[in-house]
Amino acid sequence: MTPARPPSHEQMTADLLRPLLRTTWRFFLLAAVCTAPVLAGLVAWATQAYYGFGVTGLGWPVYWGFYITSFVFWIGISHAGTLISAILRLVDAGWRRPVTRCAEAITAFSLIIGAMFPLIHLGRPWLAFWLAPYPSERMLWPNFRSPLVWDFFAINTYLTGSLLFLALPMIPDFATVRDNSTGVRRRIYGVLALGWRGSSAQWHRLETAMAIMAIAIVPVAVSVHTIVSFDFSMAPVPMWQSTIFGPYFVAGAIFSGIAGLIIAMALLRRFLHLEAYLLPLHFDNLGRLLLVMSLLWAYFVFNERLVTYYGNEPSDMAVFWRTQRLSFAPLYWTMVTCNFLVPLVLLGVRRFRTISGCVTASVAVVVGMWLERFLIIVPSLGHKFLPYSHGSYRPTPIEIVIAFSTFAAMALLYVLFTKLVPIISIWEMKAGATADTVRS
Amino acid sequence: MDRRSFISLTLVSGTTAALTGGCAVPQTSLIRFVPAEDIQPGQASWRPGVCTLCPAGCGLTVRVMDADADVVRDGITGVQRILAAKKLEGGVDHPVNRGRLCARGQAGVQATYHPDRITQPLKRSGDRGTGQYVAISWDEAMATFVRHLDAIDRRAHPPALAWFGRPDRGHRGTFIAHLLSRLGGVGPIGVDLFGDAVLRRANAMSFGRSQLPTVDLAAARHVLSLGADFLGAWNSPVAQSRGYGAMRTGRRGVRGAFVQVEARMTQTGANADEWVPVHPGTEGALALGLAHVVLQTGAFAADTAGRAGECVAGWADGLPDWTPEAVAAITGLAPGRIDRLARALIDGVPSVVLIGGPPLAHSNGLHAALAVNALNALLGAIEQPGGIYFTPQADVSAMSGLDAGDVAVAPAMSQFVAERLSAGSRPPALLVVDDSNPVFTAPPAWRLREALLRLPTIVSVGSFLDETSSLADLILPDHSYLESWVDAVPESGARTAVISLAPPVVRPLHDTRSTVDLLLEASANLAAPISWPWATHEALLAAALGTLPPSVTAGDTWTEVQERGGWWGELPAAVAQAAAATATPAPTAFTAPTFEGTPGEYPLHFLPYASTFLDGGLAHLPWLQEMPDPLTSAMWSSWLEINPATAAALGIADGDVIRVTSAHGVIEAAALLSPGIAPSIVAMPAGQGHTAFTRYASHRGANPLGILAPVTDPATGALAWAATRVRVERIGDPDGRLILFAGGTREHGDDDRPPHR
Amino acid sequence: MTPPLVTTSVQEEDTTEMPKWGMAVDLDACTGCGACVTACHAENNISTVGAEQAARGRAKHWIRVERYWEGSFPDVRLRFQPVMCQQCDSAPCEPVCPTYASHHTEDGLNAQVYNRCIGTRYCANACPYNTRFFDFFNPAWDKPLHLQLNPDVSLREVGVMEKCTFCVQRIRAGTIAAKADARELKDGDITTACVQTCPAHALVFGDLSDPDSRVSQMARAARGTALLGDLGTQPNVTYLQRQTP
Ligand SMILES: Nc1nc2c(c(=O)[nH]1)N[C@H]1C(S)=C(S)[C@@H](COP(=O)(O)OP(=O)(O)OC[C@H]3O[C@@H](n4cnc5c(=O)[nH]c(N)nc54)[C@H](O)[C@@H]3O)O[C@H]1N2
Ligand code: SF4
Ligand code: SF4
Ligand code: SF4
Ligand code: SF4
Ligand code: SF4
Repeated sequence: MTPARPPSHEQMTADLLRPLLRTTWRFFLLAAVCTAPVLAGLVAWATQAYYGFGVTGLGWPVYWGFYITSFVFWIGISHAGTLISAILRLVDAGWRRPVTRCAEAITAFSLIIGAMFPLIHLGRPWLAFWLAPYPSERMLWPNFRSPLVWDFFAINTYLTGSLLFLALPMIPDFATVRDNSTGVRRRIYGVLALGWRGSSAQWHRLETAMAIMAIAIVPVAVSVHTIVSFDFSMAPVPMWQSTIFGPYFVAGAIFSGIAGLIIAMALLRRFLHLEAYLLPLHFDNLGRLLLVMSLLWAYFVFNERLVTYYGNEPSDMAVFWRTQRLSFAPLYWTMVTCNFLVPLVLLGVRRFRTISGCVTASVAVVVGMWLERFLIIVPSLGHKFLPYSHGSYRPTPIEIVIAFSTFAAMALLYVLFTKLVPIISIWEMKAGATADTVRS
Repeated sequence: MDRRSFISLTLVSGTTAALTGGCAVPQTSLIRFVPAEDIQPGQASWRPGVCTLCPAGCGLTVRVMDADADVVRDGITGVQRILAAKKLEGGVDHPVNRGRLCARGQAGVQATYHPDRITQPLKRSGDRGTGQYVAISWDEAMATFVRHLDAIDRRAHPPALAWFGRPDRGHRGTFIAHLLSRLGGVGPIGVDLFGDAVLRRANAMSFGRSQLPTVDLAAARHVLSLGADFLGAWNSPVAQSRGYGAMRTGRRGVRGAFVQVEARMTQTGANADEWVPVHPGTEGALALGLAHVVLQTGAFAADTAGRAGECVAGWADGLPDWTPEAVAAITGLAPGRIDRLARALIDGVPSVVLIGGPPLAHSNGLHAALAVNALNALLGAIEQPGGIYFTPQADVSAMSGLDAGDVAVAPAMSQFVAERLSAGSRPPALLVVDDSNPVFTAPPAWRLREALLRLPTIVSVGSFLDETSSLADLILPDHSYLESWVDAVPESGARTAVISLAPPVVRPLHDTRSTVDLLLEASANLAAPISWPWATHEALLAAALGTLPPSVTAGDTWTEVQERGGWWGELPAAVAQAAAATATPAPTAFTAPTFEGTPGEYPLHFLPYASTFLDGGLAHLPWLQEMPDPLTSAMWSSWLEINPATAAALGIADGDVIRVTSAHGVIEAAALLSPGIAPSIVAMPAGQGHTAFTRYASHRGANPLGILAPVTDPATGALAWAATRVRVERIGDPDGRLILFAGGTREHGDDDRPPHR
Repeated sequence: MTPPLVTTSVQEEDTTEMPKWGMAVDLDACTGCGACVTACHAENNISTVGAEQAARGRAKHWIRVERYWEGSFPDVRLRFQPVMCQQCDSAPCEPVCPTYASHHTEDGLNAQVYNRCIGTRYCANACPYNTRFFDFFNPAWDKPLHLQLNPDVSLREVGVMEKCTFCVQRIRAGTIAAKADARELKDGDITTACVQTCPAHALVFGDLSDPDSRVSQMARAARGTALLGDLGTQPNVTYLQRQTP
């Protein structure tokens, strides 16, 4: 399956710049297809802001639903990139080179999308700035004890870091685009390239910055989803108050992130004809990683359930049985199938761990992880301590449209990104090829 | 025009416009912020009132404050500063409710500020029943009304004038009764589905008192209630709830015990220490069985029951046939349990037995009430602490300077319908409907709506369009009870005589008129005028209360009454009603209850019951609509309560849409599975299912009264509303018509039923 | 007693002891009548939401009378339990609120500052008693029902959380009136709307820092329990359990 010969440097430059330099009707069609749902989502959100939260399916006592599910989901997906690429950079895994940029882009976009949800979900979004510590003449500060305020800081930090981490290695590539284009484009990329000339001092500084960022971003990424888990584990709600939520959420985030990455890579490979760069090897490696995370996720779920069952606390058990065999059981077992059984078979059996096998498993994991967040939130909120106040939740079209539109938004951002930035780091690929040549 | 004259002209015209346009209409100009005399902006004050939402006659303290209202005042329309009622609280030392109110009483303020109130006199403009009206002036309305009254023949037989109203023992009701008798009319005919005519009759027979008892719960050690929803909708709920709280927790070391006997758990039954379901209509037999055991033990002698015992067949012989075994066969209770319930009454002295609700709404209701009266008398519970008392009643006619003997006893609604509104009878020429809705509560077989459609003239004095008043030709809207002089004479709830009375709390919001003032004025304007000793409602009350001594101060009764919100104390002999000393009636024997419909065709008993809305007259108050029903948590809906075993046999699940069929009609409702109901019964709250009663109540739920059989108690003519049998079948999946506030029904257990959303 | 959160010179001057407001619910007396529910609506400008919204879980009942069935026919019993905000000393709704809209006052109340609420609904998740209600739409009153509105209680707008305040407006008014008359508050001077109307006298309100107040005595009663006390919320509402004969 591996191509007989790796592409030459010239070939690389040509292949990887082609999407930037040549625009066909296909691009516009794709962009339009992605834009339509995004517009629908914006209309839905405007409707909600205008009429009030009543247009959602939320109600007493289930006050969180699709939006918080989507929030946790997208923040989870964001762990694909920066964390993975940082770790791979730190261990200097050579196969990472074609993967890192598209992974890091996922992080940036899914963070932006995820960070929208706390706003979408506010009863009075026009007052969202009250979450921020700003010098108010009334000396009012946000409540630093609130996990929502921690979210605010964590997500902002992670977003800033991730954008830097994404942008730094783009500089040499911007220079490449500059050098290979003319006119306005040359001038724009000239600005973006920040005067990159490829001097050894510049290379040295870039490498150092990358190394620092790679080290710094790992704890930030881990902390982000730990803090997101605190949104739940800090509230006395059945099956939320769990000490395992921090690592459980981080593992789930990386798990869903890898799945998202595999899907994105497969699409890029197909649409941008990058068969020579995104090799079966990459899918195989990421597939193995996905399998490991699936096992880890399954362990956490099993652990969480076992401890609950063993503790036998009545209110916890009520929620436990709701998911295990009552109203939410169909969703729960779909989740287990998607997150554990499907990856186990498709990725555990070497014969099935092909590109399409990996992609199928990844789609299952994305679905399963979305369900996982839903199943953490809704069954518990609907079944707190006083049975008189038990209730349920069914989303309305508004919420469904908004949740769905974020997938389109992700696709749209990606389509635009590939149009503007080489989705595979050209200089890293070249550096890798050179290293391989030297080694051989 | 030069610049100078232009400026002066502008100034002059502008000022003139400001003066004429602004200051000439003080209510719409700046000056409206200078409040009227009785308003202190932002300052609350409290004024007495009377709750008239049920016959209990509780006293109110109304919190009033200024508010901006878009109203007509002194002929001027616009935003004006008025005094508004903000919060109803109980009259603090009112002997019936002592500062407390029930949920209905709390919600009453919404009747005054209801968006669908009739704001001015109306004349029918479309066909009868279409609800099309045009506004007319009070002059025109008054002239029309007087013309109608002049047209009636005062000597006609049967009478040409009839009046439908809610039972009112106070001055308003009494005045209307006198007016009707002077006009040769009949009435006021009481519209009160869940009224206690049977119990009043029994009390008249047993004790010479045609009134409901006042129960001294606070001092009782053991209470046995046969169906009486005394904490919910029966008699004087606030007074009884106060007594109940004191009985349970008010005495150190003594906690009164409470047993409820009924086939469907009421809110009251939910509080019982022991809940005893019996076969419907067998409560009288149970009372006899209990009396049998009490007599057997020899703890009390049969003759201590006196006249009350003489009213019950077999009493003097010690009720030999009513052994626990015999009663067990009738009621479905184990003999040992009957024995135990009876001994608890003896051991628990002072103990008291109550009866109300469904047991009295069977064909044998009178006997059941008489049996309970005898049992109470046997236990020594009459006019004794922990027993029942009869609140001294004022002779309202005498107080008003009128002779009660002038007023003929009004027939029961069923009797009036049979004699005057059925096909072939001679209907009245003029019917006045006074804030009552018989079309909604009448069984369909009476064909009341059709009969009213045929009447020559109907006049309504009510505040809302409902199923009955929308048939009226002329509507003369009364003030609300916070806007007019109001009084009530509670027949129970206190051991002293009480007259609840209050001046208007706030000025009328709309162009309405006090019905009493209207009738007084009409009396004077008739071609053959009727003269009264007073010219206004206020003067009537002042004269009447003037016959009473001041109860606290040595001052003037009338002033004191207006400040306290009523009068209570010992009645002077001249205005006190004596107990009627009639001959002892013939003894009554237990008969098996009869039901309409064969068990084969209609296997289940059907039990409508008084809800938060009582018989439906309060369904227009949004606070009550949204208040979760205590037992089911249902809001804005109605439902059919059904035992889970019965439901399973019929393939009915919680929330399913079912059809209830009686020999007289069909309704659809959502099923609600309840463990608190016997398998042989299905029950449904009354009050919903209005077709035309304000935006909040119309087209909501179903009306169980719409399928009732026209079975009546032979002695009183009261509708035996518990005597219908029905068939129930499932017709569809839950469709959202049942709205529940609550989820789980059990605190422990695996209750995981899906919400009906 | 927990020390006050902030100590200022103003407070040091104030030698009068802070009251600590509490309620007692005698479940042996409560009849489930629902008068408290309506009284609270009338006092606190709680809007009704109508059938359609009520069906979607938007009805707002700051106090509700919970009912639980026990047993099955014919040996069936029912229990009523009025539940309002428990004004927890260790209120889970407070630390989670990002804006301090839900916060603790010095006299032990869990205050809800509607104007500061941005509608995250986090506090409602954290409240184990589910006593917090969200305004899904702008509360509205069909005119002229609005004339009844209590001017002492602020109206809420869409997107904020609301809940039982222990009728704080009555607490403040009573305190100010006592201060103006230069007298001490007596037990019973201040009462909440639900307590005031409760026909069975099942509800009692007062100052828990006064050991002789009725509510203090009831809070110490042998039948006294805290609702979900094992969660550590330290509620200021005491439930006196129903007795069985
Ligand atoms: N007539 C008149 N009207 C005015 C003004 C005026 O000077 N005169 N001033 C205007 C100005 S500047 C302002 S800022 C506004 C103020 O108007 P509002 O904001 O309405 O102010 P208040 O009446 O002080 O308080 C509102 C309510 O909050 C309650 N409250 C107190 N503490 C708490 C708590 O901890 N939690 C909750 N939930 N409620 C609490 C009070 O009991 C009261 O019912 O009024 C404006 N309107
Ligand atoms: S018992 Fe009757 S009179 Fe008393 S408050 Fe309730 S509705 Fe009004
Ligand atoms: S009951 Fe709920 S809302 Fe009230 S203080 Fe406690 S946690 Fe907060
Ligand atoms: S809904 Fe309001 S009070 Fe509750 S946590 Fe959010 S901002 Fe605070
Ligand atoms: S204390 Fe006041 S706010 Fe709280 S439930 Fe009672 S009436 Fe409502
Ligand atoms: S008002 Fe009192 S008796 Fe009635 S439900 Fe409320 S707490 Fe119970």
